[in-house]
Amino acid sequence: MGKPRVAIFDLTDCEGCEVVILNSENVDKIVEGVEFVHFRIGQARNEFSEFDIAFIEGAAVTPEEVEFIKKVREHSKVVVALGTCACFGGIAALTNFADAEESKRYVYGEKASAFPTVKVQPLGAHIKVDVMVRGCPISKEDFDGLVSDVFAGRIPREHARPVCIDCKLKENPCLLVNKIPCAGPMSYGGCGAPCPSSNMPCDGCRGPLEVPELNAELELLKKIADEDDITRLFRKYAVVAPYFVTLNGEVKK
Amino acid sequence: MSSSGMDYVTQIEGHGIIRFDVKDGKPHVQMEVHEGSRMFESFLRGRRCDEVAQMSSRICGVCPVVHNYAAIQAVENAMGIVPSEQTIDLRRLGIVGQMVQSHTLHLYVLALPEYLGASGVSEVYRKHPDAFKRALKMRNVGNMIVDAVSGRAVHPVSSIPGGFSKLPMKPQLKEISKALKGILEDCVATYGLASSIKYPEFTRKTEYSAIDNGRYFPAYGGQIVSTEGVKAPLSEYTKYLNEAVREYSTTKFSSRNGHGFFVGSLSRVNLFKERLSGRAVELAEAGPVKFPSHNPFHNLVAQALELVHYTEEGIAIANKLARTLKDEVPAKVVRAGRGVGVVEAPRGTLFHEYGVDAKGIVNHVNIVTPTAQNLTNIEEDLYGLLTKNASAPREDLKRLADSLLRAYDPCFSCSTH
Repeated sequence: MGKPRVAIFDLTDCEGCEVVILNSENVDKIVEGVEFVHFRIGQARNEFSEFDIAFIEGAAVTPEEVEFIKKVREHSKVVVALGTCACFGGIAALTNFADAEESKRYVYGEKASAFPTVKVQPLGAHIKVDVMVRGCPISKEDFDGLVSDVFAGRIPREHARPVCIDCKLKENPCLLVNKIPCAGPMSYGGCGAPCPSSNMPCDGCRGPLEVPELNAELELLKKIADEDDITRLFRKYAVVAPYFVTLNGEVKK
Repeated sequence: MSSSGMDYVTQIEGHGIIRFDVKDGKPHVQMEVHEGSRMFESFLRGRRCDEVAQMSSRICGVCPVVHNYAAIQAVENAMGIVPSEQTIDLRRLGIVGQMVQSHTLHLYVLALPEYLGASGVSEVYRKHPDAFKRALKMRNVGNMIVDAVSGRAVHPVSSIPGGFSKLPMKPQLKEISKALKGILEDCVATYGLASSIKYPEFTRKTEYSAIDNGRYFPAYGGQIVSTEGVKAPLSEYTKYLNEAVREYSTTKFSSRNGHGFFVGSLSRVNLFKERLSGRAVELAEAGPVKFPSHNPFHNLVAQALELVHYTEEGIAIANKLARTLKDEVPAKVVRAGRGVGVVEAPRGTLFHEYGVDAKGIVNHVNIVTPTAQNLTNIEEDLYGLLTKNASAPREDLKRLADSLLRAYDPCFSCSTH
């Protein structure tokens, strides 16, 4: 078997997850072990042909981007949604909660109509996604784990656990106990809890974890924060993930 | 997004196409930015002023630290918070980490490969293993600094208005100093490499702009200065950049007095080369590239020179902090106000402005990034370059134009935001 034919595409985003890839301890193993068929930021010669694995970073915010990812899907055996923008729309999806035209006028003034946009959705709403790598940004550890899986021919699996587990492993004092609103108990972990480790609340960048105690957790939050602040806490990065949408009300068209 | 994603200039941050045509020796050129707009300025309204800095770091994964710090500074200015000397030193150290991360990535992965006969990162690995290893070593040090100072290598966590939610420990600062000493010769070697390359001969004098804090080489805060004699307080920043929307670009075009101006490493070095660190001054004086330079490709040499400078500066700051670091509680004030923050990003001067109401909710946002400021100048340079080489075959012109754009180290995620 030849080297896996890999493509890395970025849609609208910050490209921070690609930076994490370049920060990987395994970057030499990666450049040795795969054939980059399309990697615009990393090389001059690219082709759009058939891919064993296509990584898609970022959110589709324009009609062209939606068409583009459909085409990528047709040409790829495996599609990986790289990072929270790809998995859940990311920070760009915040515009879903505002008047889209007013937003555009605020930024572009009279010429706003020259820049068409679509409602921001998870990639999975447009195409079939095989693997999600969560996080804003993804963690080096998750990416390195994915690389090991790919080289070993394994299908990567997600390990659902709340951020609280990461906090316990880091021996962090609980922010909620200290009356600081934190999304940790309701959020997908595995991140190593970088935010609570810096005395900052988790803002659920890896998306929601379906916990049975959801309502109890919300009641707890309501005791220490007003509803606007709770909404703001969850309405940051994993914006259009399933139950945060419910929590925050309907997504505006 | 074009249908196959194949039209975009490679090895730059974000999506851009240089649309050009040469007829009878006269070029027509458009710098088209196709990056989708996330509309940060719009959705940051309604957020609490203590959360916008962390959110605005998401503008860019290559330079999140500077967005974070510029936003923090703007909020502090709006609130009337004066950060401690220790806080400013730590931010300057974070910027050192950011410069090392970003310049290393840009030089070794994006900009220099074409001059080294390598198509990209994989070929640098195969053909220039020493350069590849050097880049990884430098990158690791940049990451370690940002991680220690701001809590995470990409997208800072602990830097907040008023100070830091968690301070690094003294041993970490000693480690940083040691690690920076460990890459100083690698930075010098990078400068040796970048300055020995024969870049296209193209000079076009323009206005070079940066910030001046009155003491050290530009990094954190200050007033706006330029080679054309601009000297203006930060609060007047919009007077010195006129932003225009053009239908072919999701990034707005900045101009000053009707023409383009340059921000970034070349501007900083052209304006403040006497403030560079000892080793960097020695290297700059020895040449072969002399500053001030009016060749935009020399931005790459200036970046390499800055790697030496910021590394030496970082050693001094880390040594000082390793001696003097003490616990400090971040200052907290909530009041209505408006404030501007400015930082030198790897790519040039970066402005954030926020208006805040009495409850601490943001009601006005303006963000102007270095690439947006450079965009008019990029088009003017492309015009000049294509005019000079008008008779060359189209393929050569395209390559040359792409190289010029790359030398600016553009970031279209930033500039569109």
